[in-house]
Amino acid sequence: MSIGDQLAQFVVSGLTTGSIYALIALGFCIIHNATGIVNFTQVDFVTLGGMMMYTFLMGLGLPMPVSFVLGVLAVTGIGGLVQRLAIQPARSRAIIILIFITIGVSILTRGVIKIIWGKNQMALPSFTGDTPLVVWNAAILPQSLWIFVITVIVVALLQFFFNRTRVVKAMRAASFNPRAAALMGVNVNRMILLSFALSGALGAVAGIIIVPITTLNYDIGVMLGLKGFAAAVLGGYGNSVGAIMGGLLLGLLESIGAGVISSTYKDVIAFAILLSVLFMKPSGLLGYGEKERV
Amino acid sequence: MSGGHCKIKHYLPLAALAACILVFPVLITNPYYLNVANIIGLNTMVVVGLNLVVGYAGQISLGHAAFYGLGAYLSGILAVTYNMPPWPAMLIALLATCLIALIIGIPTLKLHGHYLVMATLGFNLIVNIILIQWDKVTGGPSGFPGIPNLQVGPWMFDSDQKMYFLIWSGAFISILLSLNLVDSRVGRGLRALHSSEVAAASVGVPTEKYKVKVFVLSALFASVAGSLYAHYLTFISPKTFDIFFSVELVTMVIVGGMGSVWGALFGTIFLTSLPNMLHLFDEYKDVFYGLILVLILIFVPEGLVVAARKRWLRMSRHADKFSSGQITDSRSREHYATASRAADLGAKGLTAFSHPSANEILKVEGASIRFGGIMALSQVSFDVAEGSITSLIGPNGAGKTTMINVVSGNYQVQAGTVIFDGREVKGKRPYEMAALGMTRTFQNVQIFENMTVLENIMVGAHAQTGSEFIACLFRLPGFRQEGAAIEQQAWETLSFFGLDEKADWPASSLSFGEQKRVEMARGLVAKPRLILLDEPVAGLNIAETAEIAQLIKEIRSTGVSVLLVEHDMNLVMGISDRVVVLNYGSKIAEGCPEEIQRDESVLSAYLGSVA
Repeated sequence: MSIGDQLAQFVVSGLTTGSIYALIALGFCIIHNATGIVNFTQVDFVTLGGMMMYTFLMGLGLPMPVSFVLGVLAVTGIGGLVQRLAIQPARSRAIIILIFITIGVSILTRGVIKIIWGKNQMALPSFTGDTPLVVWNAAILPQSLWIFVITVIVVALLQFFFNRTRVVKAMRAASFNPRAAALMGVNVNRMILLSFALSGALGAVAGIIIVPITTLNYDIGVMLGLKGFAAAVLGGYGNSVGAIMGGLLLGLLESIGAGVISSTYKDVIAFAILLSVLFMKPSGLLGYGEKERV
Repeated sequence: MSGGHCKIKHYLPLAALAACILVFPVLITNPYYLNVANIIGLNTMVVVGLNLVVGYAGQISLGHAAFYGLGAYLSGILAVTYNMPPWPAMLIALLATCLIALIIGIPTLKLHGHYLVMATLGFNLIVNIILIQWDKVTGGPSGFPGIPNLQVGPWMFDSDQKMYFLIWSGAFISILLSLNLVDSRVGRGLRALHSSEVAAASVGVPTEKYKVKVFVLSALFASVAGSLYAHYLTFISPKTFDIFFSVELVTMVIVGGMGSVWGALFGTIFLTSLPNMLHLFDEYKDVFYGLILVLILIFVPEGLVVAARKRWLRMSRHADKFSSGQITDSRSREHYATASRAADLGAKGLTAFSHPSANEILKVEGASIRFGGIMALSQVSFDVAEGSITSLIGPNGAGKTTMINVVSGNYQVQAGTVIFDGREVKGKRPYEMAALGMTRTFQNVQIFENMTVLENIMVGAHAQTGSEFIACLFRLPGFRQEGAAIEQQAWETLSFFGLDEKADWPASSLSFGEQKRVEMARGLVAKPRLILLDEPVAGLNIAETAEIAQLIKEIRSTGVSVLLVEHDMNLVMGISDRVVVLNYGSKIAEGCPEEIQRDESVLSAYLGSVA
């Protein structure tokens, strides 16, 4: 294969994982925009998506589309539950405390996942077979196509939802100044609940569509989730266009780095690039410059 | 803190800790528990250092497991692969780790919030992957075996018990050093920058340097702990130093109580032994661990030790009301006596400084600054005469606060010069301006809410004093006198501002007017040449405004020049020696208050043109 062909292959696989990072990064952004925190439970929403899919599809033998929808709904519910049981009752609104609550919930959730689904590697079938399509000398797995299509649909749905409603403004207001937002008639807790449910759904979709390519186990979401976080930071935390861009860029960098430089150090390459971007642009690619307020 | 009574209070808990450390191995000889105790000791060293970064300086690092790992691996590799004797190997490991922390810290600590979290996490991930993948050097995922035990003369540290004493000596020293640091000039500077970086810089705290230095210091603690870990267990593997451990370390800081050294110790003991206690629950272990963590964070967010101390203080204060009210009374009276002496001194100086001299303390020439498409200041020139009150007025958006920020070094002019005390201050940062003798207050009050009123004022003296990290860590000679002098000076300033009754109050509990006075007192304690007051009476009532007016005049009488930005025209016209008027970033008038009140262009800028 020529370098050009190889490059095409790297681009395809980079965009595949990049789409996943983008979906997860969007989940991080939505919660950030409603609360100002990083929700590390996002990581487990991804795992849970895969696990739910496994149970509905393999355990209960439901059809693929039904399992997909049920899986997403289940994790959406879990997202809401996390907010109601752990975030809402918190006595402190300090960002660092809330972040570490989500870390605690993440540890707890992984514990529960281990008990219910065990620690073994599991596999899920692709949505529509594994015969690769050859486009412009690059082999594309049908699952990759599904990932692209579903990512585009999800992003379009989110866009539609946020553009057609005033929710996004209410969310921002709730995060920036909860008291003032409440005075303006925004139900702050409901906004935060909505953001957790939405990011649960996003995480679940990401988990469900990627697992047929990777494998499934109790901490599959951790690395994917952290890359999603990195993608959100790369794009400019809280900026949804940035999140998508950051996700795709990180996926591409990683895959090209792995192919051209070294596959064992692909994560090192990805994170080293992320760090150098941050050092040059401390608020991410599309982030608002944090002007020193005096 | 200078009295003998306080000294005992300071050292009593340390003595109790030493006693506990010594008694433990006598009572407990089971090697399993000794092993747990040793791991707790190692973690304590790391967490106590990390607490300085997270709890005191307020910078969240999710990368400290990497420094722990670097200490361990560098020690191990040097000792085994390069046959180096363990102690020199440890020293080299330590220096290398600190160097890496410095190189990483300088760009990383410029980041804020989630970006800082990501960068430190990314650093940890990179180090961890290298430890796993570079198997020729590190032994790869299966670990690095055969690290020799430590030895001093004929004495081998080859048992849990012997290592116990070595490790806990290290832990004890790290606690001692950290207690020294937090109750010092540097410690106050760190807490100040946690609360507000701009305000800390305005009194002379070099915020960026301090963040990097404390980060390197904590990496040093972690590296030593890592080296001890390697020589203790003789086998190390990358899994010990992954990001989950970094997360756990910060959790220990938070659960114990951020910004409390004892909290860090307790958090470490609690969270390190918790999994061992939860062994009974077998596969439910993680669930319980997560659950306990979440419950503590939800219901005791200030941390277990801090919450317990607060409750105890509340109870004892309640008891105090009946028994020892007198003591505090006499104490403040004593301070009041010294303070009134200071006020006398100030009054004597009054004649010497009552009239502005011909020399200008500040000279701004053709200052211009542009934000995007807006010319915030264009070609503005004016002087502040030494010993004068010069006011900067103008409608909203005229560029007054921008001018203050230019003078204080928060912004740099794009054209023109600022000359302070005879020298051009181009490129000088705010903390350097404080050292040159210029301090300021802020339009949106920026006191250090995490500190008491007295401590707020003491931070104000930062630029004037010189004890740095080493002096504070080891309480070198001169440290104590300096501390006592700062405290004395802070008390005097407090009584000048009528705040000495509330010296021990948390600054956040004061009224808005009092907070404004705390801010002014903080700016004045270091006896600056010039103080910039940005709307000192905004939001205050008439009585409070009159008090502040009186204070500003008294400030001038002690020889400090004042540059005042204010909308309250009664105040400005009542006390100013000279008034400069800005409108849309340009100077439109300058003169004494009477001239300004008659000036046509000023009237039209404020009231609209009649023509």
